[in-house]
Amino acid sequence: MILRSLPALLLMSFSLLSFGQAKAPYEMTINGVKVIVQPSGNEIVQIMTVIRGGVQNYSLEQQGIEQLAIDALTECGTAKDDKNSFKDKLDKVSAEMYGSAGMDYSSFVMNCIRSDFDEVWPLYIDALTTPRFDKKEFERIRQDAINNLRSRASQPDYAIQKLAKETAFAGKNYAKTTEGNETTVSKLTPEITKAYYKSVLTRSRLLIVVVAEIDSAVLAQKIQALLSGIPAGAAFTEKREVYSPKHNSFKDEKRDLATNYIQGVTSAPLPGTPDFNAFSLAMRIFYNRHFLTVRTNHGLSYAPYTYFDGGLYPSGNIDVSTKDPNKYKQVLDSLISNIKKDGFTEEELRNMKTSYVTGFYYRQETNAAQASSLASNEILHKNWRRSYTMNDDMKKVTVSDLNRVFNKYITSITWVYQGDPQKVNTALYTQEQKPPVSKLSNSTKD
Amino acid sequence: MRIHGILSLVFLLPLLAQSQPRLPQNYYWQKLDNGLEVVVIENPKVPLATIEIAVKNGAYTEGPEYSGLSHLFEHMFFKANRDYPTQELLLKRIQELGAIFNGTTGEERVNYFFTFDRDSLEAGLKFMNAAIRFPIYRTEDMQKERLVVDGEFQRGESDPGFQLWIACQKKLWGDLFTRKNPIGDHQVINTATPEKMMVIKDKYYIPNNSLLVICGDVKHERAFALAKNIFGDWAASGFDPLAKYPIPDFQPLKSTEYFVKESSIAQTPYEMFWWHGPDSRNDSAGTVAADVFSTILGLNSSKWQQALIDKGLASAASVSYQSAKYVGPINIFVVPNPNKLKECNDEIVKQIKMWGQSDYFTDDQLETAKQIMRRNKIRQSEKPSELPHDLTYWWCSFSLDYFTDYTNNCMKITRTDIQNYVNRYITGKPYIAGMIISPDMNKKFDASNTFKPSL
Repeated sequence: MILRSLPALLLMSFSLLSFGQAKAPYEMTINGVKVIVQPSGNEIVQIMTVIRGGVQNYSLEQQGIEQLAIDALTECGTAKDDKNSFKDKLDKVSAEMYGSAGMDYSSFVMNCIRSDFDEVWPLYIDALTTPRFDKKEFERIRQDAINNLRSRASQPDYAIQKLAKETAFAGKNYAKTTEGNETTVSKLTPEITKAYYKSVLTRSRLLIVVVAEIDSAVLAQKIQALLSGIPAGAAFTEKREVYSPKHNSFKDEKRDLATNYIQGVTSAPLPGTPDFNAFSLAMRIFYNRHFLTVRTNHGLSYAPYTYFDGGLYPSGNIDVSTKDPNKYKQVLDSLISNIKKDGFTEEELRNMKTSYVTGFYYRQETNAAQASSLASNEILHKNWRRSYTMNDDMKKVTVSDLNRVFNKYITSITWVYQGDPQKVNTALYTQEQKPPVSKLSNSTKD
Repeated sequence: MRIHGILSLVFLLPLLAQSQPRLPQNYYWQKLDNGLEVVVIENPKVPLATIEIAVKNGAYTEGPEYSGLSHLFEHMFFKANRDYPTQELLLKRIQELGAIFNGTTGEERVNYFFTFDRDSLEAGLKFMNAAIRFPIYRTEDMQKERLVVDGEFQRGESDPGFQLWIACQKKLWGDLFTRKNPIGDHQVINTATPEKMMVIKDKYYIPNNSLLVICGDVKHERAFALAKNIFGDWAASGFDPLAKYPIPDFQPLKSTEYFVKESSIAQTPYEMFWWHGPDSRNDSAGTVAADVFSTILGLNSSKWQQALIDKGLASAASVSYQSAKYVGPINIFVVPNPNKLKECNDEIVKQIKMWGQSDYFTDDQLETAKQIMRRNKIRQSEKPSELPHDLTYWWCSFSLDYFTDYTNNCMKITRTDIQNYVNRYITGKPYIAGMIISPDMNKKFDASNTFKPSL
């Protein structure tokens, strides 16, 4: 059964006429699966099939299984084609087919030129619904995965983020990594992985996002054919949790690096809650202040940054690589203290809203970016239309909101460190900060 | 030679029609009286504008005493200028504009780019004008920025891929290594002075050595008018810097060299192989053949991928050519299966020896590669804010005509063109081969004794 949401069409048509030449997006429900469509106005087709759950779908011992399963869809053959025949067909039309296992959901994507769509779509269905999991090819990609794990472990940015997650989220789903580790990946077999894939490929977990110029009736028919081979499955709802460290903590690892890598993890609001947009803007302004203070004023780091991970187990993050971790911490403490005491300014908020507009349209430039935004907003915020209303939503945030959320969530910090432990005074990172005397009269205003 | 002649024809045309380069639809070009070239790309996909200035500067202009200073100069662009005399004021202005911005320094180009709301075009151009023409260099700002650039160094040095790349480049370019190393030398950067910055500015940051690109939801008439109004009084230098300060010729490699570098941060081994390749001055047809050949080698069906990836000898084996005006390098990057190091390396050498054979690839593979490149062009045209970067890269090292004609020229490449390219630059020619590996793995897999030319 195909249901098309007309009110959404009418609602969206007005606001979307204001940018570019995009036609209005719409949604359909096909065989119980929500399909979101954004006509693209160009010759590129981007289709994303989302499987919900992410790291919630597998145990600690099976970390890496979903990523390997998704890799196998294009690397281990299908019922109709062995691996080489399948990849040669993709090469012929320069079609891209790839997947990624994420923390909150995974996706399997096809990207092709519109004139090749009829040729590529059947390959996409085959990969999704009848993967072969050929034993020899699976052993090859498992070894590749292990090589890649080792290669990634050499990348210091990746290594510090992994340590941060394992430390801050120990015992929780978010401590898992989507790519797994050598121990967990080496135990995976084609049989286990195939069985796992079948268990999560159910219509109850799927979402499909299309950014392309394809007639809606044609699209509906093609998706109906895709879904006819997929079982309904049991209902599924993602778990959401708040991270709230009670105290500062510090964990270090000795590594022979040219500089020291540090990451701090803080609490943050869940997607879909009132604090989310304000915290999103607050962390961006904090990024600017952090950059100015740490890099421009003190020359302490080439790449200091802060970011908000707004997933199902959200967190605020502070990242830096520096030769002087003690001075850095003193500078950071002073920065945070000043923000809490004096608050953010109207000018900062005004400028950040302007930047947000730029970023908003910057993210609309490619079909892939649009598809990712739609999927992310639907899964995390249960509202794909947020991709188009974010701008207006952000305009409603006040300075009082920024100050409130910054004080609420940037409190205790879980720190991790990789580099020379001799260079760092641990006490600077674990001592509890005295709350500054705030000059703000409305710091608790909602 | 006949084939060469046909391709050469396309490249000769720029000499016959100097005033107006060939450009795609919706691209417009003007040259101001001071020599500044301006290209406007009308693309109203989203209501943003991107402006980019590119300068023919970078590592290739640097002898040892200036190694890394083009890069430091790029950093100083974002510090202070006549209109915004402190970095704090400058960053504040960027925030007011809501701009997304950055700059890059490469071997043959330094570029600066900003994306903002289309209604801020005039304000953005004025900002760019102040930054590029009227920078302020203070000793204390430079001292702080040296630490930042050093920090960038240290991040690179924490990456085994970068460590291997640097080690290879030193051997590949010999005494002229600094001219291929944008990140430069610690010591030179740490002793840089405002005076040295001014030397770079006066030599290279001149309108007749620069290209301004304005792209997005803009109209070309207005954009040109703004460019002329804002940049029109930027004084030309009266000389061509590349003629006045010529880049020395890179000497060909005399012999093949293999080396193994041990590093505890290399969790899995990487390998790189490097040759001196064609360039736009001496063999622009060869640069096109190089790209088509690299694309063939990327096909799953290619003998290269089948021999290495399909057989599990490596998890990655990419071949690429870096387009350049002054000797573009040809590179192979491999992530070998550490359990099969010797077999992997023997196979690599065996395959390379076959590259020049007339049956190394099929007609079908050649045609597929060309069609991939045609489709890649469609994909590359998707993101408006990226279009200026593509254009300025080709302008700095090749020409606007080369950029416009590139995809069509790829379609004309023949098997003979590719064989000529392989035989001229690769088959039987000296190369550099490097591996980075952890000490434990080196001992376990005996890499130092097996990573050698096997033929």
